[in-house]
Amino acid sequence: MSGGGPPKKRNFKIELFKHRVELDPKYAERTWKVLEHAIHEIYNHNASGLSFEELYRSAYNMVLHKYGEKLYDGLERTMTWRLKEISKSIEAAQGGLFLEELNAKWMDHNKALQMIRDILMYMDRTYVPQSRRTPVHELGLNLWRDHIIHSPMIHSRLLDTLLDLIHRERMGEMINRGLMRSITKMLMDLGAAVYQDDFEKPFLDVTASFYSGESQEFIECCDCGNYLKKSERRLNEEMERVSHYLDAGTEAKITSVVEKEMIANHMHRLVHMENSGLVNMLVDDKYDDLARMYNLFRRVFDGLSTIRDVMTSYLRETGKQLVTDPERLKDPVEFVQRLLNEKDKHDKIINVAFGNDKTFQNALNSSFEYFINLNNRSPEFISLYVDDKLRKGLKGATEEDVEVILDKVMMLFRYLQEKDVFEKYYKQHLAKRLLSGKTVSDDAERSMIVKLKTECGYQFTSKLEGMFTDMKTSQDTMIDFYAKKSEELGDGPTLDVHILTTGSWPTQPCPPCNLPTEILAICDKFRTYYLGTHSGRRLTWQTNMGTADIKATFGKGQKHELNVSTYQMCVLMLFNSTDGLTYKDIEQDTAIPALDLKRCLQSLACVKGKNVLRKEPMSKDISEDDTFYFNDKFTSKLVKVKIGTVVAQKESEPEKQETRQRVEEDRKPQIEAAIVRIMKSRRVLDHNSIVAEVTKQLQARFMPNPVVIKKRIESLIEREFLERDKADRKLYRYLA
Amino acid sequence: MLRKGEAPGHQTPPHLHKDDGDDDDDAPSGFVKLISAEGFEFVVDKKAAMVSNTLRNMLTSPGGFSETREGEVRFPEISTPILEKICQYFYWSLHYSSGKETSEFQIEPEITLELMMAANYLDT
Repeated sequence: MSGGGPPKKRNFKIELFKHRVELDPKYAERTWKVLEHAIHEIYNHNASGLSFEELYRSAYNMVLHKYGEKLYDGLERTMTWRLKEISKSIEAAQGGLFLEELNAKWMDHNKALQMIRDILMYMDRTYVPQSRRTPVHELGLNLWRDHIIHSPMIHSRLLDTLLDLIHRERMGEMINRGLMRSITKMLMDLGAAVYQDDFEKPFLDVTASFYSGESQEFIECCDCGNYLKKSERRLNEEMERVSHYLDAGTEAKITSVVEKEMIANHMHRLVHMENSGLVNMLVDDKYDDLARMYNLFRRVFDGLSTIRDVMTSYLRETGKQLVTDPERLKDPVEFVQRLLNEKDKHDKIINVAFGNDKTFQNALNSSFEYFINLNNRSPEFISLYVDDKLRKGLKGATEEDVEVILDKVMMLFRYLQEKDVFEKYYKQHLAKRLLSGKTVSDDAERSMIVKLKTECGYQFTSKLEGMFTDMKTSQDTMIDFYAKKSEELGDGPTLDVHILTTGSWPTQPCPPCNLPTEILAICDKFRTYYLGTHSGRRLTWQTNMGTADIKATFGKGQKHELNVSTYQMCVLMLFNSTDGLTYKDIEQDTAIPALDLKRCLQSLACVKGKNVLRKEPMSKDISEDDTFYFNDKFTSKLVKVKIGTVVAQKESEPEKQETRQRVEEDRKPQIEAAIVRIMKSRRVLDHNSIVAEVTKQLQARFMPNPVVIKKRIESLIEREFLERDKADRKLYRYLA
Repeated sequence: MLRKGEAPGHQTPPHLHKDDGDDDDDAPSGFVKLISAEGFEFVVDKKAAMVSNTLRNMLTSPGGFSETREGEVRFPEISTPILEKICQYFYWSLHYSSGKETSEFQIEPEITLELMMAANYLDT
């Protein structure tokens, strides 16, 4: 009953219910007999003849007349007796019927229990809480647990039966999952502790030893891919089993057992398995296997880091082979293409199989950073790759394709530690492209500059941008020159001058060669014109970088237009007046540096189909004793013949040394500037901190060598920017 | 909930069948017959009867007691006026718990004690 009765101040005397039953001593015994009979009838499925109201009233009155204890004890005694009977019938069940009998009796007991609880509701409501006894329903479950589940004849038989059924199912047999579900649910109903102690713990132990054995067997006879497939299937089976007939709380426990036995215990062996381990999967792009490995390993502690470590060392090893293989160094474009392919391949693996895991991406990046910098020619080669793409590789490619390729290059660029070396080479290659007009697309060039700028800042590209400006100004100047001076020039050769700002371009001071008189005349005219419009400037001719188109008539009168370099033009013009010249003659008349001269003669005389000169004796190489003749018999299908210089595309060893030296020279002021910047703000700092700070500031461009930094510090001390502390020789002070 | 009324107000139970012998007493699914000690029958909605936990258990117990089968419950210890008041209370309680504004449930002082005993018995 809920709610309040009459107001408290009125003092009602609570009397017993008006239908007072005679309190004869046999009353309790008689009423109990009725109830006891009813309980038996309920267990006998005979309840339909009973009146709920009557039983309820009997129990109600017993409790009301303080016979609650008698009622409760009687109930406990009667139920215990019934359960002992039930236990006997379950024990008697043969073989496979055991579980079914148990389940059926459990259902019966449950139903009976509910009915008993209903008629004894009043006792549950009043007597039980007052005397702190177990409520009827719980009492029923406890009695079932003690007399059925924990009965010595049933307890171990039940466990064995369950484990046996599960084992059979693991071996592929069909079992009655519904029955299993009912039984495990019964164990859960009896309390989580019953389920865990009487079933789950032994189940987990049996599972562990089962999979320990099975995994041992698998690992001996399967390759890694198959093993993983089997593990995955087992894991899924176990999870499915839980969802079908075990408690949901078991899932985490059972999967961790399987993971430990199948994966964690064999992790290293699997990853390193010969002919089928992780490395083989990577090599063969086995996305499915890799994804499976990733998904299984990430379930166990240290699983992913094991994969990652092996992958990293594999990447470093192959990358190192790639960048140090002397064969590969012969073709820079191919070299970079291989790097890109390698990157694409692993990007795809990480994307498809490893779910774009950030830690794997980082591992990939750090591996690339590691091995690309193992080869100090990487910056040069990457620049050459861009050069190749911008010269010819991108012809006909759409804007998007260009962007994709340039982005990939930028990705490699990011790995470079010596970005300033790249800049140096890029400048050289860009200069060549611009001056020879070989660039495929101006947009692509500019796009690359923009990318470098976003990556490294304005400073990095200012000179590169200056080069583009020079090209534009030169064009305007030439138009103006011809507009003003055309009448003076007459029919002479046409001149196209690129005016290059010193400093922006990678020009080396180089003595001009002797130009043919025809050219010299127009050059002088241009000089006068240019210095006339821009006072205070100096013009020097860079004959080593120009090109020329000349018309030549050969033996049978056929005419060809030859596209040659300025040096080659100078050489060819000599043959206008004579047929044969020795190497020494040519060297003397043109004053071309020996190395360049040899190259240019080689391309004029030794390339098949382009040999406008004839050399004696015939050989591949130019020696100083050779004699050259005009080749009358030269033929070509093409009217325009392009004679390329035999350019060493990549640098020769001495050139490389030279570039390296220039890079080192350029670094000095940068290091000094960094030191001064740091000291200006810190005033006093010790040596190691300076080195660390300088390295931090400059590592975006290159990795400064500590020895070089020390030298720069010494030089700054000499020039009195800094001084050593008098007391502590390791401290430096900034002198304002 | 039983409450002692303070302000006298007239109360009409919304749906109460006093037994006239000819009412639809054969609908065990929707109705249940409550019989007082003197033999008066009250036919009420099952829904209303289930306001009492005792009746609820009686009517929903799985075992098939005679009450569930026949759709009638005898109360040999509850007199007609009390049972009538109880039936009125069932409907009042349903109405009250549905959240609607309801006036107080009036209880005459002379039957208060008996009504309380019955309420205890019926767990209401």
